[in-house]
Amino acid sequence: MNLVRAELSRLLARRFTQLMLILLVGSFVVTIATMVGSSHRPTAAEWERAEIQVVQEESRQEQMRELCESGQGTTDFCQTLSERKPRLEDYLFGVFVFEREIGNLVYFMVAFVALFGFLVAASFVGAELNSGGMTNLLLWRPQRLTVLGTKLGTLLASVLAVAVVATVGYIASFWVIAQVNGLPGDVDAEFWGDLAMLVVRGLLLVLGAAALGFCLATLGRHTAAAMGVVAGYAIVWEVGARIVMEVVEAGRTETYMLSTYLGAWMGGRVTFYDGPCIGSFEDCSYSLTWAHGLIVLTALVAVVAVAAFANFRRRDLA
Amino acid sequence: MLTVRFLAMSAVIEIDGLRKTFRTLRGGARVALDGFDMTVEAGQVHGFLGPNGSGKTTTLRALLGLVHADAGRMAVLGRQAPAELPAVAGRVGAIVESPQFFGNFTGRRTLRLLATAGGVPHERVEEVLDQVGLRDRGDERVKGYSLGMKQRLAVASALLKQPELLILDEPANGLDPAGIREMRDLMRDLAAANVTVLVSSHILAEIQLICDHVTIISRGRRVLSGPVSEVLSGFDKGEYRVRVAEHERAAEVIRGAGLPVTVHDDHFVVGDLADPAWVSETLGGQGMWIRELTPLTPDLESVFLQLTGTEPEPGTHKQVDDAVRPGAEHDLSVTVVEGEAK
Repeated sequence: MNLVRAELSRLLARRFTQLMLILLVGSFVVTIATMVGSSHRPTAAEWERAEIQVVQEESRQEQMRELCESGQGTTDFCQTLSERKPRLEDYLFGVFVFEREIGNLVYFMVAFVALFGFLVAASFVGAELNSGGMTNLLLWRPQRLTVLGTKLGTLLASVLAVAVVATVGYIASFWVIAQVNGLPGDVDAEFWGDLAMLVVRGLLLVLGAAALGFCLATLGRHTAAAMGVVAGYAIVWEVGARIVMEVVEAGRTETYMLSTYLGAWMGGRVTFYDGPCIGSFEDCSYSLTWAHGLIVLTALVAVVAVAAFANFRRRDLA
Repeated sequence: MLTVRFLAMSAVIEIDGLRKTFRTLRGGARVALDGFDMTVEAGQVHGFLGPNGSGKTTTLRALLGLVHADAGRMAVLGRQAPAELPAVAGRVGAIVESPQFFGNFTGRRTLRLLATAGGVPHERVEEVLDQVGLRDRGDERVKGYSLGMKQRLAVASALLKQPELLILDEPANGLDPAGIREMRDLMRDLAAANVTVLVSSHILAEIQLICDHVTIISRGRRVLSGPVSEVLSGFDKGEYRVRVAEHERAAEVIRGAGLPVTVHDDHFVVGDLADPAWVSETLGGQGMWIRELTPLTPDLESVFLQLTGTEPEPGTHKQVDDAVRPGAEHDLSVTVVEGEAK
């Protein structure tokens, strides 16, 4: 418990942590302020115009549906047509509709908090290894795995706490904006359930990013090592290897990219069409779900974490 | 080979056959420790000396679990190291080489965080800050500290636990003359309080003043170990410097008596001299009156330079790896143990 308290004190006392917290709050404030400034309560005239447009759209869709029923439309088109019900909110421009926009806003928030977690985590252990602080600590507690494990555990708990508070505050802020200066939209139980799942997946992603940053910095003994690995991976693999695979017309290239699994995890499902099969989409499409994302991302974090702890256990410390 | 005996005491540090080779990714290897042995008894202030790169810091790091030894046995306060170090860590204070702290923390915060991690009451932080002279500078950021102040902070961190064993690697590094004297007094106070101190340093005059025992290491092997006084007496050749008006004629007279004499420009040195009064009587009897008769007692520096083969020679630039490697060719080991010679 003493070690946890000490690690928590070290984490909170670090200026980098404080700076990143300020940046996190600042970005949220800017996002929220932008939304407040760009949204308004719809006027009576806007309501009336929207109602007219909904009626017109319903009429157009009815004609299309008849075409589909007579067998003249493509399957894809007819399928999406039945899913697209025109709603008043779709025709109220400049109005923030909570139900319609909160999903994308949560994506942005998760991306920012994940970046926060990654950088704070990498810096937390990287700076300690680089400055000799870890050596000093080990002179007091010569239990390497306990010290590193406590550091990681304390960090993850702290990042989770920040992420939960940020998420609740962020979503609550937009809910208030919707109530005061926009529209809540169609927020039924299913919507809240989906939003809750999105948030949970986002929080797990934040924890994974933090753990990855921590373990990469442990392996590389420096904060920059973690950032370097990510930047190197993005440039060499996500960009370079993707180009090479496209040139040689390799199949299902997206299945080799971590970004695909990130997208699948957060979006629930991603569908791709294999380049070489263009012209016969139905046969060549493939999908990856959140379950694929969970397996790949968990395996990645687990492998890096095991490597980091095994390496730290045996490493000679300067 | 020299053998000296002393009373048995309980060993606080035992190192036996310690080996460590550092390897590089390119396949290179550097032997840092090559079967090193050392014993530090309870209550000693034990000096640990060696040329640069001889393995001192590697030994201390291995002892404290920071470096993994390839072979050998170590024990600290009766417990195997590094496996059982956690059991005794609360009784061992240590600083290793240049201590590095997180620059943005203040000295006081640094010590408080360590105290929290080690379950030490925070009142102790104020005591050690006062003890090392940082009481009034404790709220400044460490990155603003001078090297000497960082060294004092490191010593403070080592003292926080009120250790039974204190391991100090170059504690006087960066200290000003007053700081060096304070460090010397501090170690004496600690020794008086029955704290065992193992201190490595290049300031041999300080070691001679502070330490009662010494171990010298060269190229990963022990070349000498024993009480400082007995080590020095072991190298005492009974030499005296003699100044007299006709020093060359006087030297011939002494040489004629069968004693070894080395003549210099304005004096000569006579060795194997049991009674200096004999020189006065002999030369006085021949009408040569002595102006100076000074015993040339060895100091730790001369012993160190002789044993490690690192004494500078005019016209040459000694390299780090030119130090003597103890072994079959140069058996310089002087072991002071209870009982038989080793």
